[in-house]
This record gives sequence, C-alpha cells and structure tokens, in this order.
Amino acid sequence: MWEFRERLAREFEARRANNVRYSLRAFAAFLGTDHSTLSQILRGKRDIPSNQLRLWGKKLGMTSEELAVYVASQYVPSRQARDRQEQLRHWTAEGLAIVTDSCHWQIVELTREPGFRGDCRTVAVQVGVPVDHVNVALARLLRLRLLEIGPDRQWKHLLGPGRHTETSFRKLALTRIRELAARDGVKLLRVQG
Amino acid sequence: MGNPVMQFQILSTAPDETARFYSDLFGWTVDANNPLGYREISTGAREGIQGGIWPSPPQAPTFVQLFIAVDNVRTFSRKAEGAGAKVVIPPTSLPDGSEMAILHDPQGMSFGIVTRS
Repeated sequence: MWEFRERLAREFEARRANNVRYSLRAFAAFLGTDHSTLSQILRGKRDIPSNQLRLWGKKLGMTSEELAVYVASQYVPSRQARDRQEQLRHWTAEGLAIVTDSCHWQIVELTREPGFRGDCRTVAVQVGVPVDHVNVALARLLRLRLLEIGPDRQWKHLLGPGRHTETSFRKLALTRIRELAARDGVKLLRVQG
Repeated sequence: MGNPVMQFQILSTAPDETARFYSDLFGWTVDANNPLGYREISTGAREGIQGGIWPSPPQAPTFVQLFIAVDNVRTFSRKAEGAGAKVVIPPTSLPDGSEMAILHDPQGMSFGIVTRS
C-alpha cells in the first residue's frame, strides 16, 4: 500500500510546487475525502481501501494499467512481512522435522555406542535411510547445537549429562528451536497442558 | 595472503537431479565416495574453483554458498559475529581434517568459511 501512498504524496508536492498555498484540505477536497483521513493516509497511519484507490487513481489521471499495478501491490506482503513469514516457516519446519523424523534421535543414540564411526554412509545403513537423509538430519543437529563434530572429528551429542529418551530429546530439541527462533525475532506458540 | 573463495556449494532439495543437470550440461564429474557422502564436483578445468552439492531440507530454497578460506574458523566466526553475522552451523570438523562453519551475513545471505588446506 505504501506505493500508492508515495504516489499521492508526490502528487501533493507537485501541486504545492506550482502553488505554495495549495493545502492538504484542497487536495483532500479534490480527491473527495476529508483532510483528517488524507493526513492519516499520507503518514502511514491508515490504509487506503481498494475502491478508494481506484477512484483516486482515476482522478489523478492514471491509466487502467497503472491502476492495476497499484491494486495488485496491495496484496504483496512487505519485505518485512515476507522475511518474518520466511523465518516462521523455517523454524516451524525445523520443529516438524524433529517431531516427525526419528532419524535425529537415532543419530544421537548411535554416537553413544562404543566404536561409533562418524561416517554418514555407515550411519545411513544403520538407521536404514539414504545418505542424503542422514546429511539433512546431521546438518539440523549441528544447527540446533544438539551435536558437534570437534577437532578430533568425533561426533558428540550436546544433550548434557544423564540418559535421555526420545521424548526428552524431542523436548530439548524443541526448546532449542524456540530459543533460536526467538533470537531471530520469531515467537513460537506455546500450548499449555 | 588474502581470503580467497575456495569452493562453491549448491544446496539442493533434489541433489541427484542437480548433479545430473550440471554433469550433462558442463561435463562436470560428481563423486560422493567419501565419509560424508558429499557430492564433490570437479569441473575438469584448472581455472576457477571446484564445488560440491549438499542436500537441503525441504523448507529451504535451492541456492549457492561460497566457501572462503580463513586461517582459523573459530576465531573468524567470532570476528564475523562481531561484524553482525550470525553463526548458523558452528565450527565443525570435516573428515579431511579441515574445519568449516556456516554463517549468515547481516543481509541474511549464507556463506561458509573453511580452513586453508
């Protein structure tokens, strides 16, 4: 919506450039609205209804093609909204992967076994999934700081001391996702009970 | 000494298809015979850099990361964070003994750092 707002602002400034006495009230009267509404719109405090946009566009002499672009732009999320949606989509997908794919837990369990070798091809055979599947899960475990591969090239889980179950692993992983999402400014819903 | 770009990495939700496309188009060879099952790309040329293909999760787009050589991945990760980057994958050892990390620059673009080989 800001694009049409910019257009209105430019039109007003152009009219004032021709006549320093041209007031916002006069511009509002030309458009067929009141001064207060127009002021709020120009300051970004109020949206422009679609029907109003079409009417004002015509009054400003826009072609139907120009108007169509401005109307379409109303439905395009702002960059900020788009980035936020993308972050939400990413963190939700990370959470869903943890909840639905036991491969993450199976990899963590394998790292505890004596003689474990950090070879994704071997892990894939042991877990019974393709190597790519292991690699996607491994990268997720690294991103979520649930596992590390240190200078000794050993895979070590970062779940803390004590024995974990798959349920406690998921709980820890989802808590980690919530923390990392919050760092990105995304607040994931918490369901009580 | 500088910090050159050492390799490119394609992240793809369909890594086999991606490998086949670039192999067929450019004659690149793709070899996944290593402990990570990592699809290493050899372009067959001495110029330019070599690359690889990593599988990306379903929610991610297909994109390219550049890996930039640094002396010390841990030190450089901290330096990058101080400059506004975000560490996505912390310093991680690779089977060949090198170390790498994945970061996002302040505009959100993903890149990698890797110890010089």
